[in-house]
Amino acid sequence: MGEYFMVVLLDDQRMSKIRGTGLEEHIKYMFGGELRLLEVKVSEELKDKILQEFDTARVDSRGAITDVPVAFMRELFNQVAEKKSLGSDVVEAVLAKVDEIKKAAEKESEYLPPPEIE
Amino acid sequence: MSRFLIQRPLPHGGRLVERVITDKEAAKKMIKGCPSYDIKPTLHYETGVPVRNVYREIMSICYGFFSPVEGSMKQAEVERILKERRLLNEWIFPYPLVFDISEEDYKQLGVGPGDRLVLNLKGKPFAILDIEEVWRIDNPEELAHLTFGTPERNPEVVREPFNKKHPGWVIYRSLQPVVLAGKYTIINEPKFRSPFDRFWYPPRKSREEFDRRGWRTVINHQTRNVPHVGHEFLMKCAAFTGDVEPCHGILVNAVIGVKRRGDYPDEAIVEGHEAVNKGGYIKPERHLPTIVLWDMRYGNPLESLLHGIIRQNMGCTHHMFGRDHAAVGEYYDKWATQILWTKGIPSYGFPAPPTDVPYGLDIRPQNMREFSYCPTCKEMAYSETCGHKREKLSGSFLRGMVAEGVQPPSIIMRPEVYKVIVKWWKHFGYPFCNEKYVVNKEKELEVDLEDL
Ligand SMILES: [Zn+2]
Repeated sequence: MGEYFMVVLLDDQRMSKIRGTGLEEHIKYMFGGELRLLEVKVSEELKDKILQEFDTARVDSRGAITDVPVAFMRELFNQVAEKKSLGSDVVEAVLAKVDEIKKAAEKESEYLPPPEIE
Repeated sequence: MSRFLIQRPLPHGGRLVERVITDKEAAKKMIKGCPSYDIKPTLHYETGVPVRNVYREIMSICYGFFSPVEGSMKQAEVERILKERRLLNEWIFPYPLVFDISEEDYKQLGVGPGDRLVLNLKGKPFAILDIEEVWRIDNPEELAHLTFGTPERNPEVVREPFNKKHPGWVIYRSLQPVVLAGKYTIINEPKFRSPFDRFWYPPRKSREEFDRRGWRTVINHQTRNVPHVGHEFLMKCAAFTGDVEPCHGILVNAVIGVKRRGDYPDEAIVEGHEAVNKGGYIKPERHLPTIVLWDMRYGNPLESLLHGIIRQNMGCTHHMFGRDHAAVGEYYDKWATQILWTKGIPSYGFPAPPTDVPYGLDIRPQNMREFSYCPTCKEMAYSETCGHKREKLSGSFLRGMVAEGVQPPSIIMRPEVYKVIVKWWKHFGYPFCNEKYVVNKEKELEVDLEDL
């Protein structure tokens, strides 16, 4: 069975939401520590489910699942923060909302909510 | 004075073309009693989506960006360009540029050689076309293939046959059959809307601005993108070439024209480059973001030739070229532009580089590879000098980050630049060009016109 994962990027806003959850020790760094990220585990079965539900999704050479809708990625972070977990339960919870995500994804080609910075 | 000092080149063709009448009374007299025609966008031959607006070519010709071209080309000139990429006056030039109309419009207008046609834009008189010849494009598909090349005819650099997935090929394929050839003159200067107005430096003005700033050597950076730090390092480091000292100025020249879904909006592109100097990442005294109007043909080496012409006309001494310059898809070798400027491409009429043929260019190419972050050097490092494994910054990774609403770290994108993206994101409801943006842009264009 292969090891798959999804990358959750962390900016300052997201960092503030996971502070104290115990997830901090799993943070990985790129670009000299400037880019922080978490890797969420994805089982073989869930990987297949993602590829089946979202036709843009791809698996790269490292086993990272990419090119899913933005709504999926947002929900992925929400579930990480809520469950305080990086295990397969996170993606499972995201996929439980697949209809909602697909609906949001349909609108994504015309509208994306801008981030709240001044 | 050191004999190594590089001087600003003359415009391509020896003198700047300037065909703009600023005296409204004179303009009114010039068009009295002349027939008029409302400029129409070129529509995709299959989908009907706008793919080009000839107004952008008229602007770039009349303000001298395309010197020595003065108008819509005659048949013999187009044929010569397709064969050897030269105008009838010998100077090199990559693309056919024509004023094309439908048979119905031609019949209705009833004009011919010797007639003056007034061209209206957004319902106002904009320019005149003094017709010298009327000719026909019999086979637009053949014209499109001849314009860009084929793997058989141009084996040095063409890797795949062009087709309707290539936006430049589509422009030529979609041209109307009747060409009215002759010189253009702008008789009513359009006014650029904000934010484009403050980036408008046509060649005479840019040369004056270089004088004012004391810039003798200037390197151009071609852009159609919001700058990330990789671009910033290309701009700063390519400028070290200069002559006895690094280039005095870095000219950013953004190509503004028809957009494709998923591009960054033009407003974010120009203000993003401006944010680089406002933030001090490149000193404002050394850096000038500007625009040129052109519906990109994505002709890689051919496009680079046009870019060389535009920037030499603007007064640059150097031009930076990277990988996949002005490219889309895999039609060309990814180094085709650098091949043109170092060796030439005989099948396009260049047995030597465009700087080393008669009636060629004087602007110097600076061929660059890439910058990416090296965790060992702990800096943005050049691919050809750093010997470590680097963390590549792909455009799609960055776009994914932006779309997700995650602010990229400042080693990838400067916070001032990101703020510009978000500003226009809030304005358009989308960080990239969506359908609505693309359609609206071709309706509104970049300019407004007053009554004449
Ligand atoms: Zn290194």
